[in-house]
Amino acid sequence: MRVTPRIRSWTGLAAVAGLVVSVAACSSETASEDTDATAGGDSSAAASEISGTISLLTPIFEGTPGQELLEDELLPQFYEMYPDVTVEVDYTTYGNLNEKLTTAVASGLVPDVMMMGVGWIEGFADKGVLADLAPLGLTEDGLKEVYTDSIVEAGMWDGDVYAVPIMLDTRFGVARMDILEEAGYTEPPSSWDELVEIAEATTVRADNGSLDRAGFDMMSLDPRQAFEVMLFSAGGGLFNEDVTEPVFNNEQGVAALELMTDMVNTYEVEDIGFASPDDIVNPLINGRAAMGIAHNNLWTQALEADESALEHMEPFLIEGEVPGMFFGGTLATVSSNSSSPEAATALLEFLSSPDVALAANEQRGNVPALTELLESEYVQSNRFVQFALENLEYAQREGGPSTWLEVRGDFAPAVEAALLEQKTPQESLDDLAALVQDAINR
Amino acid sequence: MSIFERTESPPAPPEKPPTVVTTTRKTRGLSPAERSKRRAGWLMVAPAALHIGIWTLIPVIATFYLSFTDYDVFSSPNWIWFDNYVETFQDPVFVKSIWNTIWYTFWTVPVSMAVAVVVAVALNQGLRLQRFYRTAFFLPQVTATVAIAMVWLWIFNPQYGLLNGILEFFGLPGKAWLVDPDTAMWSVIIVGAWQGIGIKMLIYIAALQNIDNSLYEAASLDGASAVRKFFSITLPMLKPATFFVFIISIIGAFQVFDQIYVLTDGGPANATTMMTYEVYRSAFQEFRMGMAAAQSVVLFAFLLVMTLISRRATREED
Repeated sequence: MRVTPRIRSWTGLAAVAGLVVSVAACSSETASEDTDATAGGDSSAAASEISGTISLLTPIFEGTPGQELLEDELLPQFYEMYPDVTVEVDYTTYGNLNEKLTTAVASGLVPDVMMMGVGWIEGFADKGVLADLAPLGLTEDGLKEVYTDSIVEAGMWDGDVYAVPIMLDTRFGVARMDILEEAGYTEPPSSWDELVEIAEATTVRADNGSLDRAGFDMMSLDPRQAFEVMLFSAGGGLFNEDVTEPVFNNEQGVAALELMTDMVNTYEVEDIGFASPDDIVNPLINGRAAMGIAHNNLWTQALEADESALEHMEPFLIEGEVPGMFFGGTLATVSSNSSSPEAATALLEFLSSPDVALAANEQRGNVPALTELLESEYVQSNRFVQFALENLEYAQREGGPSTWLEVRGDFAPAVEAALLEQKTPQESLDDLAALVQDAINR
Repeated sequence: MSIFERTESPPAPPEKPPTVVTTTRKTRGLSPAERSKRRAGWLMVAPAALHIGIWTLIPVIATFYLSFTDYDVFSSPNWIWFDNYVETFQDPVFVKSIWNTIWYTFWTVPVSMAVAVVVAVALNQGLRLQRFYRTAFFLPQVTATVAIAMVWLWIFNPQYGLLNGILEFFGLPGKAWLVDPDTAMWSVIIVGAWQGIGIKMLIYIAALQNIDNSLYEAASLDGASAVRKFFSITLPMLKPATFFVFIISIIGAFQVFDQIYVLTDGGPANATTMMTYEVYRSAFQEFRMGMAAAQSVVLFAFLLVMTLISRRATREED
């Protein structure tokens, strides 16, 4: 049975729509202040009329600190605004979000509010699982006034807005300047050639050939995301403009994967298995890597693991043909099948409000999606987040076609096959492109 | 009175298997008490039958049906005949997963059975702390595979893992066990074999305790060595248990999933992906429930063939 967006009256949403836009435009007031400031007259009346029990599926706020933040600090603020609404939270991780959503859709119990990643919206919006947020007054132009264009586009499908950004995860280069300086370099690399040169100069191997320090670490990242950073840096992209064809197997894509392959097999600046995304301590923190591609939350990780490492870590854009940076993120959506759409929308509005989004970002060490938060104390105190926000214009995202979720899992084996020299980069990417094209054509 | 004498004569075996027609006739001729007894029997069987019907039969039928459709959770299924099966066997990753599963089964089943029988025999000798050792060997069986896999993740970790630590102690270079395609599958096989020892050992111990001790006594009088007794008495007497263990081990090995999910995610470059893992990927990563159903049917067919072969072998032995 095809799940089509239910045509419903959306009674009372007009008042909330005004609230959404005004909240999104608000700056650094607290969430409760937002309510006070915006919920006058009709809005407060609308808020008091909203009631119901709604479910929230979230891959952020997981773990004890996240749960405490949401349940002890944030939701009580929401309940003050909407005393007749109850929120049942279903915590998950991004790793398990697919299963949760699939079983939810199959069983007809789709959560009222869902947080999803960049690249996820297209598929679920296309299948009619998500509510079009246009009736709430959320327009592309309106959102682009407060968010960076590409982030707004990550929440859109077929010209309509289906999601509101909350946080961004970025990937960029990070250099351990103390190690680089030891090797005679005073600046992070500004080209691929320099990247290779510095990586080779800073790689350290033991007498038996085992790697003690990687010159350039790519293994701490999901292979797909590492490849995407290099691809964007090569000036390439994943799909053509109308997302009907993959283009990552073109000259730029092959050059990016060749560089990664050469880093491992020719320049030997990192060994396969030297690091992994599951490692407790990132090799850049403990000095086991001189440079690497890293997530912006490396700053928060270093704060917890070894604060002294922070002074040595310098973020940089990986410069190939263009400066390369990747961004993913978390967006809030409403189910098209919600039995309490007003309450769900109220929660979406609350979660995307500046102070709530800021708190969620701070807890995860992520980049707030709202441009205005660049001036916040959190952003100013976190050099990586600040760097990411200042360079968002260079950041590119993954996703595009509605079948992205179906194919993204095929990227890692393809990249690994090239790194292991089981296939050439061209063969690897061609095979992957054929798979992706099949999925798009289905 | 002979111990074979009974107060009542045993019921005579039926001359031929009852058919539906004769059963109906028989029901008609039953006394009210017998009918009531029969109804009670059906009532007692009903919960189990309902359980099997709802949780096994219907899903199995649904799986077969969905395997011929393009069901994707979001939209209604369309009948596409054998397209999923054709695509399944044309998909190099799924074909690789079949070979990986066979390879994994080929090694984990005999290795874990061999170790289990040796351990069972050793723990059946009345050793000190025998109960402790039995519990220790059985512990992996009752521990969540995810927890076990986490421990093995640490053992195989290239930087601070136990295995590389031992190698380093002897001056040997370490390896990235789970990300090197040459060692990843062997690492998974080791974990699978190790985890399977407990239940097999338990079954073997139960079987060993049923072997008549007089056989060993007679062999001892004939001057048979311990090794000779093991090969000439223990192993032959364990044959029924061995076949049972063999069947459940094959089924278990073909259904391996959680340790792959935690240890390798099917990598590197699909080197350790298994049939069950591909079913999971099709269903929950690609939302292709029809395809996942077809892959499940293929897995089912493999298991059915293996079980039939094993059953036939068992029957011949019997």
